[in-house]
Amino acid sequence: MTMSEPAAIPDANASAGILEGDLVKRARRGDLAAYDELVKRYQERIYATIYHMTGNHEDANDLAQEAFIKAFQALKSFKGGSSFYTWLYRIAINKTINFLKQRKNRHHFSLNDLDFNTEHNPDLVALISHKTPQRDAGLAELQKKLNEALFKLSEPHRMVVVLHDVQGVSHEEIAEAMNCNIGTVRSRLFYARQQLQGHLAEYMQP
Amino acid sequence: MNGNENNFETVKLLLKLKQHEEPPPGYFHNFSGQVISRIRAGEAGGAQGFAEQLQATAPWLVNFLRIFETKPGLIGAFATSLCLLLVVGLFIAERSDSVPKNFQSVAENTQPTLDSVASVTAAPMLAAADPASGIAVSTNPVLSLQPATTLFGQQNPLFQSASFAPVNH
Repeated sequence: MTMSEPAAIPDANASAGILEGDLVKRARRGDLAAYDELVKRYQERIYATIYHMTGNHEDANDLAQEAFIKAFQALKSFKGGSSFYTWLYRIAINKTINFLKQRKNRHHFSLNDLDFNTEHNPDLVALISHKTPQRDAGLAELQKKLNEALFKLSEPHRMVVVLHDVQGVSHEEIAEAMNCNIGTVRSRLFYARQQLQGHLAEYMQP
Repeated sequence: MNGNENNFETVKLLLKLKQHEEPPPGYFHNFSGQVISRIRAGEAGGAQGFAEQLQATAPWLVNFLRIFETKPGLIGAFATSLCLLLVVGLFIAERSDSVPKNFQSVAENTQPTLDSVASVTAAPMLAAADPASGIAVSTNPVLSLQPATTLFGQQNPLFQSASFAPVNH
């Protein structure tokens, strides 16, 4: 499994052919098989978001599971005003931000390995070979620098940049999930990119 | 902001690297199974229920404990201050139990001299109580303030004047 494809809005008619709404209704009645299907649909995106926020596989694993469990327990309070996915995202985001606040100043990276495709991504290869002053800088080093730069951002800024630039979530969805307006999302995104550009200046030289 | 968007192309390209970070092989094979089994076991329900209950009843306690979670150094400082407080408390308690030095010196000053001791031993061992004064005098160097009579002029039952009855053998 790779997380190379940006997350798009989940298709209501997923492979199983069951509507998300039906699964949610069944899960609300305590049907664990239906909830299992929902977990399978969104587990990768939820995990990826949390992982990019925490930079730690073990924490991402725990938090993703807890987010799904909390969502199941709170299903009765889900009014259906937004999609289940957005609602689930909000739970995962809140859990992650709370976790990061508690864990402040205690960063522990256990980064996932880069997949094989990375070395064959022409854009990244070009970036490494032409933009980097140290030509021999490996992808792993770049990954490390990138994560360090990301962790210099505040949680809301990191969340926005991860959701938009890594996960491919739209501004509107981010605003809904983070309970803020689109203007705030845009300004946070701009500021976060600006900060990252500063932190990764050595990789930005022409 | 479009100009700025273009300026961030390299940043966005670098961030794409994050998309290639892969979880351990087989990570998602059993993920949903773990979630469902945790829900079934009610493990999360019990633990979270307690946490939520605590949050509802004593949010200050939760916040207080969170401070320790975020700043482990504070635990040591808090424990040290508690120990210090305990030691200081014990020290003060011990000092208050022992006779203060001022009282000790007063007691030493009131110690009878050898002459007075002799005169005391010559006198009856129990000093006669003077009901009129209402003060009982004893051999105890500390004066007893026990009144001989009550407020209504009755004899204090706790106070008995010494009496000597001749014993015929």
